[in-house]
Amino acid sequence: MDKFSDESLNQQAETVVGPSVKIQGDLNSDGNIKIEGYVTGKVKTSQSVFVMNGSHITADILAGNSVIGGEVQGNIKVTGHLILQNTAKITGDISCQILRVEDGAQFTGKCTMSPSNGNGKKAVTPTHEEPESEE
Amino acid sequence: MYYYIFDQGNLPMDKFERLQTEALGYFAEFKISGEAARVTPLRSVADLVDTASQRGAKTLVACGSDDTFNLMLASLKGRDFTLGFVPLDEKSFLSKILGIENIYIGAKTIAARRIEKIDLAKISNNFFINYLEFGVTSHNLKSLSWYAALKLLSSEAKNYTIRIDDSYNLSIAALGGLAINIRSASASGQKIADPTDSHLDLLILEKMSKMQTLRYRQDIVSGNLEKIPNTTVIKCRKIDFLEPRGTPLTMLGRIVAKFPAAVELIPQRLRLIVGKNRTF
Repeated sequence: MDKFSDESLNQQAETVVGPSVKIQGDLNSDGNIKIEGYVTGKVKTSQSVFVMNGSHITADILAGNSVIGGEVQGNIKVTGHLILQNTAKITGDISCQILRVEDGAQFTGKCTMSPSNGNGKKAVTPTHEEPESEE
Repeated sequence: MYYYIFDQGNLPMDKFERLQTEALGYFAEFKISGEAARVTPLRSVADLVDTASQRGAKTLVACGSDDTFNLMLASLKGRDFTLGFVPLDEKSFLSKILGIENIYIGAKTIAARRIEKIDLAKISNNFFINYLEFGVTSHNLKSLSWYAALKLLSSEAKNYTIRIDDSYNLSIAALGGLAINIRSASASGQKIADPTDSHLDLLILEKMSKMQTLRYRQDIVSGNLEKIPNTTVIKCRKIDFLEPRGTPLTMLGRIVAKFPAAVELIPQRLRLIVGKNRTF
């Protein structure tokens, strides 16, 4: 199984939504999307979506993988990894294959896990890392 | 058949005559002679493109400045030509992108006929291959003094509204930005400003602190806005610049349209003869 972690954030995103940007509508992309601002509508990509701390999303997210560090009101459906960082606030249902939830993440909704490719078992890999202090 | 359009532009006549003779000599040397015509006050670039079409020319070569090439591009009107460029202007932006440093290399490149299919962008009825600028980036920052540039980049952000791909609206308080098809810093394999990826890149610069302005001034001047933190980067095929109305969109320092204006990309539309040292 391919590795996916917070380090994936360092990958170059094809679409970057800056902190003062407000998007209304359907944000579709073929590559990675990094959101630091506000999105209302829908976010869709076959690659990864990174929702950064401080961002506000009122939208459904459909992606290959996703790292959530901001506030999301909407359903998140990813086919691979979903990482909820300690700053994440999610109100909505999530669906993924592999889930990692850091201490401090807030999630209100229903979680559906699809079987992993490897052994057919449902994969849930919660971590219990201490939240990193802000510098 | 090759059709060469010679344009004096801002060159002194004696220098232009000398460069034209030099170019024609190289064309003969490389056995790529064709028909050559000169732009005059009574014969515009558009007229010469029409003439080339009537004569059945397959390859049009602009011999002059970037303006000559841009005017040739704007005069195509959907007709199918392979395009080439021979720079007579030493400050040519296109010559750097296409890897054609001088007249000799220009002639050699045309003879080699290395053709690349690149995306063509359209604003109003003008076609272009390079980039558009708006806001502070549309000013010639290179020519400004250190203090004047700092003052300009420290100005208040404007609220822009831009519609992308007829799919979503983007509202942002920004200093300015770029809509890029190709730029001098383009490189193969790079995700931004690849003229063969069937996408335009919209880069929008947010308000910066004075320290950031000083630190990233060179990146702003060279158009590498993606290197600056908080810059918004959007890949798209269509951009509608909606507000603020009346904001100029410039290309190489010349106003080509004002908000509201639409920019569309026609993927892989242009057959362009490129040099070995092209930047993409």
